[in-house]
Amino acid sequence: MIAPVYVLTGFLSAGKTSFLNSLLARSDWRNIRILVIQFENGEEELSISGNSCKKILFPLKELERQPKEIARQIRHHLREGNYDEIWIEWNGIIPLAQLQSLLSLPLLRSRCKIRRVVHIADAAELEKLLGRTGKALPEQIANSDFALIRNETAADAVKIRKLLRAVNPGLRAYSIESYDDFYRQLLRKTWPPLSVFIVAVILLSAVYLVAAPPLTQIGLPLNKIVNVFLGIILQATPFLLVGVLISGAVEIFISRAAIESRFPKTNLAGMMTAVMAGFCLPVCDCATIPVFHGLVRKGIPLPAAVTFMTAAPVINPVVIFSTYYAFNGNMRVVALRVILGLAAALAVGVTFVIFPPKKHIMTDNSPARAVCESSYWEIEGGETDFLGKISLLFRHAQIEFFNMGKFLAFGSFVSAVLQTVAPKTLASSASGGGLILSLLIMMSMGFLLSLCSSSDAVIARAFASQFPPAALMGFMIFGPMMDIKNALMLSSVFSGRFIARLTFTAFAACFALVLLYAGAGGMY
Amino acid sequence: MRIGNLNQRILLETLSSAAFALLMLYLLRSGEYLNYVTPRLRPYLYFTVAVTLIWTVAGFLRLGRPQRRQRVGHCFVLVAPILLFLLPHTPLAPADVSWTYAGGAPLAASSPAGGATQSLDVISGGGVYTAPAAALPGADETNHIIVVDNDSFYPWLNEIYGNMDKYAGWQIYLTGFVLKDPEVFLENEFMTARLGMTCCAADLVPYGLICQYSGVAALTPDSWVTVEGIIQAGEYNGWPEPQIIVTGITDAQEAPGYIYPFG
Repeated sequence: MIAPVYVLTGFLSAGKTSFLNSLLARSDWRNIRILVIQFENGEEELSISGNSCKKILFPLKELERQPKEIARQIRHHLREGNYDEIWIEWNGIIPLAQLQSLLSLPLLRSRCKIRRVVHIADAAELEKLLGRTGKALPEQIANSDFALIRNETAADAVKIRKLLRAVNPGLRAYSIESYDDFYRQLLRKTWPPLSVFIVAVILLSAVYLVAAPPLTQIGLPLNKIVNVFLGIILQATPFLLVGVLISGAVEIFISRAAIESRFPKTNLAGMMTAVMAGFCLPVCDCATIPVFHGLVRKGIPLPAAVTFMTAAPVINPVVIFSTYYAFNGNMRVVALRVILGLAAALAVGVTFVIFPPKKHIMTDNSPARAVCESSYWEIEGGETDFLGKISLLFRHAQIEFFNMGKFLAFGSFVSAVLQTVAPKTLASSASGGGLILSLLIMMSMGFLLSLCSSSDAVIARAFASQFPPAALMGFMIFGPMMDIKNALMLSSVFSGRFIARLTFTAFAACFALVLLYAGAGGMY
Repeated sequence: MRIGNLNQRILLETLSSAAFALLMLYLLRSGEYLNYVTPRLRPYLYFTVAVTLIWTVAGFLRLGRPQRRQRVGHCFVLVAPILLFLLPHTPLAPADVSWTYAGGAPLAASSPAGGATQSLDVISGGGVYTAPAAALPGADETNHIIVVDNDSFYPWLNEIYGNMDKYAGWQIYLTGFVLKDPEVFLENEFMTARLGMTCCAADLVPYGLICQYSGVAALTPDSWVTVEGIIQAGEYNGWPEPQIIVTGITDAQEAPGYIYPFG
């Protein structure tokens, strides 16, 4: 028989033992034979009553030195006792992966299998601990099925859950008081993730095949959406890869100290450096988002980082080139796009000098940085040789690619749908409107369509017969800075508040600049 | 190592990376990637193959790493495109393109909105394409006849725009689809057009020459035709541009693929 293993994780003094005590004391658990294994000798003593339970304790030292010996002992106990369940109180400072290695040793593999992992968290301590205690704690949270929260007050319940979910989005959190809900969930059978994934793939394919004809009939041609979506994805994926690799390189090869000592001290010089960097990076906006994230994480001053993010997609060489072609070599259009784009980016940067964000921008809460770093817990640190660092770089890039890619894919899909249905509606609503209305419509369209900044000039040109040049210019400078796709990608790491502010500021800056210029002397 | 001990998350990440790399290679080798993006992206796609292959190899080496809670949802980032590539769909046809109402191609609709107060100096002195006519196939310099084949549609378009005076009066054979748009063209006008891609399938727009023809009403929109006619220096919304006075129209085979003006 393979005995199911239930594991309790959590930092020292989170309350693992007291939870176990109250659990073993429950009357409905008296009839089961339970083996309790502790890998930690906490403040509270585990009290075991009756013959059906047995506890064994392994000190940390033994775990580190003689894992085989531990496995042998556990196997011995399992043979003797014929237990129905095994409960393990795992050590709070050791990654859970070590327990898994232990249990998958040949000695134990056929005897027991982890069924559920429960994380016990002390609401009062969690926030502090996450930032300071290294990788074991986030690793444990990330690998747990449930979280039981102690000392939770109504005020911080939401915050604690947000923190936990930032590390493990699939975690089910319960207050430690709500036993009954928790037990029901604990014993429920779940599918292995791979099976769920395969079923999802099959279902989606079936839905596609069934839904395509009726959707096309009601004016939502799925064939077009798929083509546009694949076009955007194929176009954006290489650039996103460039972005995450650069971001990874920044993370791994450039130290915080180097940035602090080398990066220009004044905001103006910093923003100018950012503009230069933006010019030198021949990629579209899909690549600048991860690089922006990497820069902020490394402590580049926010005004400079924001200037980089908003300027790079408008002023880089590929965009200049494609604008030149789309407008048949009209240098005024090219120059205006670069100058107005640059001015808008600097204006956005300046607003962050004047009004630095009061809250942390990464997520809603102050420990966001800790959580953010925690999400990279799976990366094994410590490689110091060049090859080790390169492999670390690719690992880092992969995590960030999947992280941002989710939002890129979703944003591309939304954009593909909108491109199929929206332009005609939007364009026709502009007829008869003045400059301000058409500028607003074209800028909104830039946001909604989420075109790649290296091709949007052609689309702008295609609107030339319906919109005044100023509106096209608004489309071409605001669209690359901020659109649905970018906002979604940013939301994987930044707070909604920050993204909203960035969007609004960029919109206002582009709007005002285009309007000013158009008012002063026409466009081109 | 037993299957049960493999890390399912890393397994799926590795498999989807491998599948994505293979798919990219297939698209590149078969040329099918041109249905979605332009030839310019070719090196970038090879770069994508390289990175995803590195992830595949690195993933295989980490397959035995234990990890308890295995989330796999993020693999949809790679699996969703793979799935959609595999599910039946057809490349976009002229009828699917939504930018047509905007007045034809960027190149053809050379007039800026807002009237004559703005100057948009398109097509002046040869535009951006300056290759000599001799380099383009299908020109009969002595008899002043141009037979535009499917591969030189865009080069010829540029050439004629750039040297309108030289080609006025020449006879031309041009194959494309019939673009009719009552909002943009007059009753006796249509455009012989091809779809052009700048970046990806999202930005397909028609490129072509406006044709003057009394029988426009009888033409089926988006049908493929070979237009025979005389090039003339015409005007569109007050701006000079080459047009075709049609002398004959025959049905034609659909030209495969798109044109890639900047690719």
